[in-house]
Amino acid sequence: MLQVAGIDVAYGHAKVLHDVSLDLEEGKMLFVVGRNGAGKTTLLRTIMGLLRPLKGSIYFDGGDITGLPPEQLYHRGIRYVTQDKKVFGSLTVRENIEIAAYSSGEPLSQALDKVLEIYPKMKDFLNLKAGQLSGGQRQILLIGQAMVGNPRLLLVDEPTQGLAAIVINEIARILKHLKGRLSAVVVEQNLPLVSQLADRVVVLKEGKVTQVLDDASEICNTSLLEKAL
Amino acid sequence: MGNVVKERGLVLEKTFVAVGKQLTQAGVGQKALELILIGVVFLILVPFLGAHRATDFAIFCIIVLSFDLLYGYMGRLSFGHLLYVGVGAYTVGLALRYLTTNPLLAIVLGIVAACLAGMAVGAITVRIAGAAFALANLAFNRVGWFLVMSPLKDITGGENGLSIRNLSFWYVNFRNPTFRFWFVLASLLLVFLFLRIFTSSSYGVLLRSIKEDEKRVRFLGYNTQLYKWVTFVLAATVAGFGGALTALNYGYVNPNTLDVHANAGIVFACLLGGSGRLYGALLGGIIYMLITNLLPVYFQRWEFFLGVALLLIVFRFRGGIWGGLEALYSGLAARVKSGSSKEGMSR
Repeated sequence: MLQVAGIDVAYGHAKVLHDVSLDLEEGKMLFVVGRNGAGKTTLLRTIMGLLRPLKGSIYFDGGDITGLPPEQLYHRGIRYVTQDKKVFGSLTVRENIEIAAYSSGEPLSQALDKVLEIYPKMKDFLNLKAGQLSGGQRQILLIGQAMVGNPRLLLVDEPTQGLAAIVINEIARILKHLKGRLSAVVVEQNLPLVSQLADRVVVLKEGKVTQVLDDASEICNTSLLEKAL
Repeated sequence: MGNVVKERGLVLEKTFVAVGKQLTQAGVGQKALELILIGVVFLILVPFLGAHRATDFAIFCIIVLSFDLLYGYMGRLSFGHLLYVGVGAYTVGLALRYLTTNPLLAIVLGIVAACLAGMAVGAITVRIAGAAFALANLAFNRVGWFLVMSPLKDITGGENGLSIRNLSFWYVNFRNPTFRFWFVLASLLLVFLFLRIFTSSSYGVLLRSIKEDEKRVRFLGYNTQLYKWVTFVLAATVAGFGGALTALNYGYVNPNTLDVHANAGIVFACLLGGSGRLYGALLGGIIYMLITNLLPVYFQRWEFFLGVALLLIVFRFRGGIWGGLEALYSGLAARVKSGSSKEGMSR
């Protein structure tokens, strides 16, 4: 479904990704792990069309999507949940969902149902300004917003970063709920979560893919994952 | 090219659907009440200011409303908005001189001309943001002013301006101040109603999202350049309507209509009332006009008070007067709510 083929990406003269390749099958969850500065976020930003690779290509459903702008990728079914947890703070939660529904042409009631399906408690906050939500609630809202329309591939950047354990469990539950329904590339440093949800793990080190783990027994072994970092 | 036209068509279609939905869903009674209240405020002003001055106030409010769409809702500060007011005004003047004797047709032509000017300038300026956007618009405004003053002075009258002929046609008589007042008041209410519906629709939510974080809006599948362009054109069109009415209210157009320095007045009125709030734009328009019309009678250096007011807004009341009133209301409502819940608990 998604194929990243040998991409090199640079910020100015500083090369960040070196010949990175990965493959994702329909309905699977691929986790990208690595230390800070390994190039994980850069990889997602490149897939999302925010950066153009110096070399290599990105394919989605067999078509070349290299360098296509984010708005076009959205309508192909690719959603990007950034790590900054930035919702539209001055809008209400309902309006945050409405804005996604308006873009995808999905009726607002249906869009709201999708968000409430993954997080029923959101019903109490619909008329609250999204800026008043906690970090975890914002993250859930962003994932919910990404579910509006017909998403096929979810790109999620560090969904549990800086969140309390109880909220991490909630996000893990939501991601588990989504597993199998759509494909996802998730950047994550929380190794127990990775071992719980991943179908494939790609280890990035200094911009290079150093290891790809496919085997369930390897993925479940967090100490092995830690060693790979 | 074909794709761009198709995409623009889709944006327009989506806009109409969003506005139409809002029109059919939102309370008609509430909107009617709002329009009546605005009308009453202007009627109250007439005995104090006279019909001509009150008409002037209403026209200024239309221009501030158009600017608020651009700045208050979409977050794009322009120092060249008066270009479209000037285009509307001069088109009315020239149309009534050379093309038609019907002022209503001239107004339509003024609106169309401002719309076309907005389409051309917007196609260039919406690609940039921040100070560059403000200054690029100022530059276009300056170009418009230069065209009126110099290369086109044979038809625009240059510095001397252009007196308008054919102010009356059939029952439409713009020589009559009472008629002008009612016509402009009806126009203001129409513009307000349209913008009220427009900004309350999903499109309005989109504009506020662009104001907050344009990049994230792109992640949600929006070609923000197109939406910004449509909004820019709409703001220019409404400003052109204001310009057309200005020309008919004075029976005269001069280069001051598109004087770049006068843009500060629109920005000031919008900030004073509270940007991003249609009522704020109305209130700001009225108060700014009161200040600039009445203070000079009592104080020679009345601009000092404008400066102090602007400083107060920037440092203390970012939401302007209307924003301050909203904050006061929600504070009082919260106090009443907590008071009644305490009372309930003590019982």
